[in-house]
Amino acid sequence: MRSAKNKTVKSGNPVTRGIKPDLSVDFAGIKLKNPVLTASGTFGYGEEFADIIDLNKLGGVIVKGVSLKPIKGNPPPRIWETPSGMLNAIGLENPGVDVFLREKLPFLRNYDTAVLVNIFGYSLEEYVGVAERLDGVPGVSGIEVNISCPNVKAGGIVFGTDLKAAFELLSAVRKATRLPVIAKLSPNVTDITAFAKTARDAGCDGLSLINTLLGMAIDIRCRRPRLANCTGGLSGPAIRPVAVRMVWQAAKAVDLPIIGMGGIMTHEDALEFILAGASAVAVGTANFVNPRATLDIIRDLETFLTQEGIGSVKELVGQVRVA
Amino acid sequence: MPSSKKLHQAKVLLHRPAGKEYYRLVLLAPALAAAAAPGHFVMLRVSANLDPLLARPFGISSVISKRSIELYYRVAGRGTTLLTRVTPGHTLSVLGPLGNGFPVPDKAVTPLLIAGGSGFPPLLYFAARYGKQARLFVGSRDKECLPPAAVMKDLRSRTKAIHYATEDGSRGTCGFVTDSLAGYLARPGRGETPVIYACGPHEMLASVSRLAADHSIPCYVSMEERMACGLGVCMGCSVSMKAGGYKRVCKEGPVFLSSDIDWKDRVVLPVLQWK
Repeated sequence: MRSAKNKTVKSGNPVTRGIKPDLSVDFAGIKLKNPVLTASGTFGYGEEFADIIDLNKLGGVIVKGVSLKPIKGNPPPRIWETPSGMLNAIGLENPGVDVFLREKLPFLRNYDTAVLVNIFGYSLEEYVGVAERLDGVPGVSGIEVNISCPNVKAGGIVFGTDLKAAFELLSAVRKATRLPVIAKLSPNVTDITAFAKTARDAGCDGLSLINTLLGMAIDIRCRRPRLANCTGGLSGPAIRPVAVRMVWQAAKAVDLPIIGMGGIMTHEDALEFILAGASAVAVGTANFVNPRATLDIIRDLETFLTQEGIGSVKELVGQVRVA
Repeated sequence: MPSSKKLHQAKVLLHRPAGKEYYRLVLLAPALAAAAAPGHFVMLRVSANLDPLLARPFGISSVISKRSIELYYRVAGRGTTLLTRVTPGHTLSVLGPLGNGFPVPDKAVTPLLIAGGSGFPPLLYFAARYGKQARLFVGSRDKECLPPAAVMKDLRSRTKAIHYATEDGSRGTCGFVTDSLAGYLARPGRGETPVIYACGPHEMLASVSRLAADHSIPCYVSMEERMACGLGVCMGCSVSMKAGGYKRVCKEGPVFLSSDIDWKDRVVLPVLQWK
């Protein structure tokens, strides 16, 4: 149970003495220069954005999900825009861990930003296989485990919606690596706190939530789903209230640090998650809307802290006042 | 420190209907104009807010005075509907130039430009740069959906010949643009070494690809697919390749060799008639 830290803002704060507010975060042992990361699946492995923003300014990059073997992905159509959001059924297309290590990671290592590798698989063995390949690799600061995949060996039950399966998976990944292990939770569950506790009990060092909400759209003229996969993951501003609520619930349930994500477009959105209990945030769909979103958020967070006379972003974590 | 050379704030210089079916939009964006080549496209944010959420892709039809880019579009859905409300003087966020562009044709080649429906803009730019020896085949549902008169006048002066096709027979050959192309390929011009460059609806491109294969002609198609980022990171716009795997229309494309594409993977569904 997180202790209530009712710290009031100190008077004679560092900001009025002309010192810049401190944006740094220590997330499960990972040193981040600021709490803003890019969400997995929305930033590739960094190369495409290097022309557009200075990657050195980011707190961290969570790369597109990496699997043991290359995965082709789903046939098109893979995306569909919805009000204030979008559905995606990309199908986790990626070149596999070997190509990631050989061709993608070296590029990112040129930059002064933390690299977290999102991993997934369709069986426990596949997850463990990737985790082992990443263990001890220079340049990798942590692993984010996407548990929202079906366990093909157990009839396709999604790991992240079954407590027993999630526990077994996360325990196995925990054993396979000394890197910080962050469990990326699925919101498509009845009680997020049960999964937060399961991740903690399995030995995870942190949580990230939320992943996408399961959704669907139909073309009424063709009378067919808009996505070739029929259903897909909903992301963007539309899901933000659900995400904030889940971060708040998870933060009250366990003491693990949390990366909050789900529809963050601005620094104000980021602050909602921080106040709800997130120590860091991940920005995803916003990168498609404004490729400079991450840097704008970092800059505006700093301005906000300065204007409010707050010395460190850490002071705001979990500080939403409830009664 | 990388410059935001791909993200531009472009002032709308001109925005008006062009013919019955299209709109013409001219945007002031010198850095973008300087880097734009035929076959490139841009991702345009059509409003200043989050509705619609995503930018929309448009092929660049021309560069004007080295400072502006020109786009033509048809109202196809929510994004383009909202775009019609933008007036000159507004500033729009534009990402570009994006994509690989058309390969530059060899001087000995006769480019056969196949423009279907609203696919003509990139070929307009192609014709402006390399059109002197080109034959243009342009087709649409009816004569109102052909490129605007001013565009056609421009194309007549830039190309060797123009062949029209309309499905209702209101102009040129009655039928698809591919019927017009097939007719030509049955009796090609003397001494011409054709290479096809096509842009238009998916079914048209698949048809053109088959014709090109039948006649052993190299064929470049500018593909289209729903896009979220336009940069190559969301993996939404992937097109299936015969050799296996997918390539991104926004990054490795939009121009592909038609013989490399697995045309069967992307099914275009027919609109059903309500009873």
